[in-house]
Amino acid sequence: MANQQNNNNPFHIAQQQIRACADILGLDAGTREVLLRPMREFHVNFPVRMDDGTTKLFEGYRVQYNDAKGPTKGGIRFHPDETIDTVRALAAWMTWKCSLLDLPLGGGKGGVVCNPKELSAPELERVSRAYIKAVGQFISPTKDIPAPDVYTNPQIMAWMVDEYSGIVGNNQFGVITGKPLALGGSPGRADATARGGMFTLREAAWEIGLDLSKATMAIQGYGNAGCYAASLAESMFGCKIVAVCDSKGAVGCKDGICVPKLTEHKQATKSVCNCEGTKDVSSQSLMEMDVDVLVLAALEGVLTERNADKVKAKMVVELANGPTTPEADEILFRKGIHVIPDFLCNAGGVTVSYFEMVQNAYMYYWDEKEVREKLDVKMTRAYHEVLETSKKFKINMRKAAYVVAVERVVEAMKLRGWV
Amino acid sequence: MDDILGGLRLGDNVVWQVDGLHNYLKVALPFVRQALQDGRTVIYVRFDPHYCVLEPLSGYLTTEIDPRPGFDSFSSQVNKIIEEQGKGVFYVFDNLSALVADWASDELLANFFQLTCPYLRELDTVAYFALTRGQHSHSAVARIRDTTQVLIDLYHVGDRLYIHPLKVWDRYSSQMFLPHLFSNGVLAPVFVSGDASAISQTASKSPLKVKADSIAPWDSVYRKLAQYDEDELRFLESTPEIQALKQELSQMIIGIHPELQRLADKYLTIHDLLSIRNRLIGSGRIGGKAAGMLLARRILVNDPGEMDFSKVLEEHDSFFIGSDVFFTFLVNNDLFRLRLRLTKDSQISPEEFDKVEERFLAGSFPAEIMEQFKDLLDYFGQAPIIVRSSSLLEDGFGNSFAGKYRSEFCANQGGPEERMASFLRAVKLVYASAVNPDALSYRRQRGLGESDEQMAILVQRVSGMRYKNYFFPPLAGVAFSHNLYRWTDRIDPNQGIIRLVFGLGTRAVNRLGGDYPRMIAVSHPHLRPEAGYKVATYSQRKLDLLDLSENHFASLPVAKVIADGDYPNLYLFLSFMEEGYVRDPCGPRIKGLEDFILTFNNLIARTDFVRIVRALLAKLEAAYGYPIDTEFTAFMDSEGQVKINLVQCRPMKLPGLIEAAEVPGDISPDCILFRAKRTISGGTVPRIRYILYIDPESYAKKAPVKLKREMGRIVGEINRHPDIVRQQIMMMGPGRWGSSNVTLGVNTSYADINHAAVLVEIAREEAGHIPDVSYGTHFFLDLVESQIIYLPLYPDEPQADFNQEFFRKSSNILCILLPEAQRFEEFIKVIDVPAVTAGKWVQVVADPRQQKALCFISHK
Repeated sequence: MANQQNNNNPFHIAQQQIRACADILGLDAGTREVLLRPMREFHVNFPVRMDDGTTKLFEGYRVQYNDAKGPTKGGIRFHPDETIDTVRALAAWMTWKCSLLDLPLGGGKGGVVCNPKELSAPELERVSRAYIKAVGQFISPTKDIPAPDVYTNPQIMAWMVDEYSGIVGNNQFGVITGKPLALGGSPGRADATARGGMFTLREAAWEIGLDLSKATMAIQGYGNAGCYAASLAESMFGCKIVAVCDSKGAVGCKDGICVPKLTEHKQATKSVCNCEGTKDVSSQSLMEMDVDVLVLAALEGVLTERNADKVKAKMVVELANGPTTPEADEILFRKGIHVIPDFLCNAGGVTVSYFEMVQNAYMYYWDEKEVREKLDVKMTRAYHEVLETSKKFKINMRKAAYVVAVERVVEAMKLRGWV
Repeated sequence: MDDILGGLRLGDNVVWQVDGLHNYLKVALPFVRQALQDGRTVIYVRFDPHYCVLEPLSGYLTTEIDPRPGFDSFSSQVNKIIEEQGKGVFYVFDNLSALVADWASDELLANFFQLTCPYLRELDTVAYFALTRGQHSHSAVARIRDTTQVLIDLYHVGDRLYIHPLKVWDRYSSQMFLPHLFSNGVLAPVFVSGDASAISQTASKSPLKVKADSIAPWDSVYRKLAQYDEDELRFLESTPEIQALKQELSQMIIGIHPELQRLADKYLTIHDLLSIRNRLIGSGRIGGKAAGMLLARRILVNDPGEMDFSKVLEEHDSFFIGSDVFFTFLVNNDLFRLRLRLTKDSQISPEEFDKVEERFLAGSFPAEIMEQFKDLLDYFGQAPIIVRSSSLLEDGFGNSFAGKYRSEFCANQGGPEERMASFLRAVKLVYASAVNPDALSYRRQRGLGESDEQMAILVQRVSGMRYKNYFFPPLAGVAFSHNLYRWTDRIDPNQGIIRLVFGLGTRAVNRLGGDYPRMIAVSHPHLRPEAGYKVATYSQRKLDLLDLSENHFASLPVAKVIADGDYPNLYLFLSFMEEGYVRDPCGPRIKGLEDFILTFNNLIARTDFVRIVRALLAKLEAAYGYPIDTEFTAFMDSEGQVKINLVQCRPMKLPGLIEAAEVPGDISPDCILFRAKRTISGGTVPRIRYILYIDPESYAKKAPVKLKREMGRIVGEINRHPDIVRQQIMMMGPGRWGSSNVTLGVNTSYADINHAAVLVEIAREEAGHIPDVSYGTHFFLDLVESQIIYLPLYPDEPQADFNQEFFRKSSNILCILLPEAQRFEEFIKVIDVPAVTAGKWVQVVADPRQQKALCFISHK
């Protein structure tokens, strides 16, 4: 029973990953200990006046996992089932993601236990402001920079920036990223995750000798990321999208799906099913299709030991978080299928968030082209570092990504004399 | 007598116009004696409570019928007697004039005669009727005269009795139409001119029928009240005589339901009632919908409390087509018996109904009604109007008939002939809807199958404004004073809920696919059941409007209609979806319409709209003494103030607990069929014998669209199957039932599911079906009123404990019940539970307080 609890506890999973990585790197016990615990955690309880005049007490967290490389960075989640262990785990993962991209940032995360469906817009604003008031002394553009996450959005970030600016007495746009464009947001954020993934795909294709202009692609998941991925893969490389699926079904066309038409159809009907020029295929068979590239852009745990063996794609691109289980990862590695692991592949979002901070600090804003170019540089460099490490240690790309990320954090800690 | 008339023939209807009933007795009694002597069956049809024409006499049968329940019920009963008695029977009817006391109008009297007389003739009967002379309108007497075979005047001059045949069909003699003196059992014709003129001068009858004053209360009460001028009425209103007249008029116009009467007594003045009369076409009542609308307006405007509704409510200038016109239409167009047949026992298919509708459309109206229709259309000019059903039972206490009868928009464009043609078509379609399959099922289900149901009509100006070639109101919707749709405990159910749309309100009451009105919990108007991108998903995309250039009703994408961005006050209705959050416009200037969604956020935040609706609902509920359900339109006037047009108000049916229901916690997992985590109506449904199960996966993936379209019909046939009707059935299937879009769910109508005890909408992720309570739609009201327990089921969720094996493996008796449904066997399964569970049953327990429900196999 205890084991089962551990297995389901996201922070325990995150700690296991650190231990595995520490083994590869041969880290000493003290360093391991530091990496296995968050550096700072704030538990706050704050009152909010509700629309009906009553006062309600809300509970919130902010975890600053490791700031060896710089101020911590990570989203704020508004969720009724929020727990401190979820926030800890997510803060740890943010640490590795920022480090992997070699951003001068550490990892953090925050959360408020609340159900946004039970809050009116004015109440949501008061909760957001009250949370910032509660954690205000622990965040700053040089300490900890929050961003949007589950059930939070640019509007909420705008309220938070305003509240924080009020507390410190001057405009501090750089304290939070993911703001609306009109309030210091960065261009290029909408498709940053998918675009970043496409840059890594381009590099990976080069590595395995795949001509993307002739490549076929199947996309599992056609939400925001999947939709952008289809469109970018087609426009950037000339890939042929032969199958896509969403929660309602899957469609395919061996001559290539017309992506603009499919996107329009999806917007109109909320489903990819029955799109003109496609025929129905089963969602399961999509994962097993004989395609060059399989993009996983939906949920976690879709590739498991049960179906990983049947994957025929030459490459798996993980735009979603955690789509492949560790067991499946090993199977794909054995089969020689090249995997671009999630926290490398989908790091475009946090990278553009970092760009937003930079632009806020300079008070000089780039155009979208410039953001894309800089993103390309970051993603491409990160990919090659992971690839090199994978080859060096003969480990899969995911483990390699961890090694790169953790090693950088450890190096920073050493330089600072912590370990 | 036989000599004068050339003998009575089988098939003759004989109407005696008399001064007093003692004279009628003088002719009726010999007729009965002779008939009995000839060995005929004689029936005395008694309905006048005050005067008995025939004293008890051995040999003839008396059948008593109470005219008080109304024309419809009375005529149906007479029809039934005639049908049962068959051919060759002789009848004596009481004085027809007695019917007017209860029915209030001559129109219905003539309708009754015009309806009954041909049927009697068909069956070779001979029937005697009496009619009091000089007390009915000329048109009514003319219709009776036109219909009957024999019409005879019977009158006194001094102490002498004269008989004067006025019409004897298909017979002639030189003396036939002379007055005849009745003396010592002998009839002698009056030949001498001097005698004849003396008789005529002194006769108790009036020479000009047109001058006859109708005794029908309808006219006389109105006349009496109308003779007072407005000032006098105000002065005299509280006197007992005027009060009695007012009450009588109110009953004739509004109806006799005690609750409705109480409200009418309290809130409607004589002036109000007379104003209704002035806008009434034909005679009779105005029906439940019209009454509800008028009462609600009065409740709000009289006695202003915290809010002065006279400044908020838009004026109404509706017309009413009296309920008598409906029967005149049926009788004149030979449709009454068709309706009677359909109402009684027939199941009518949609295809058959199409034919019935065609017969209604071919019908015509009497000239005097057509004249009034013309006046009505002249009044409205080319303003769009809506022709709405307003039947007597509709919107009454306990029977909303929500959406059962038709409402037809008339864009009302084109020349007078074209406008008249479309108006007539609308009226006839509303009339035909009185016998549509859904309405008939609804009536039968509620035991209203044979009750008096008259279709009055409310003709309203469509509220809204012209924009380009379109006409629609900016806001419309339904508002309920009690909120059953609480997605969080924070919401106070007693403050109500609003279902709001842009454009015509039809989108707020129908269950549409992929299109959602804004739900506003009045206690917490800013709350939404969705967050993030889902706000856009659950929003309105199309609007209903009248396309004036095409002269018809249409549903168009909102984006297309408002593409120019210059529709007034758009900033109150629109928001923009930007990077996963909803941005409300800062002010009236809107930069572009990219990624807009209809949220009405600024309307809620910046105007009095919700405050007004809250006050309106509270006031109406207090006056009715029940939760209420309203339909409205709204707009912003030139000063930016919210104006409401209340188009309907009726008592709201709340789903009660059938009995205390607590979901048991000790059911063995093997016995559980599924759990649901949301329910609105609650209770325990034991002994469910049948389950109709449509497998969502095969429905979504294998069933061709054509077959899907037919599935609703098959479900309907199972629903009406005699074996099923006698037992409890639970229906389960994919997506949203009652939606016309077959990809969203099973396309059933109310008549297809009304015998179900439980309806389960199944959501399977892979099949893309999403159940939707659609709170506030007509479909939802049907479920609540019929006490059908509605459960949404998410079988893929582990907490659902969905026993797929049971549904997959249990044998299918569909083809045993419906051998012709073999094609559907793959998709529709009917499970006879005891047969597959060794004599056990299925039980459902639903607990709305805990939002839990359990379906399990049980011994009970």
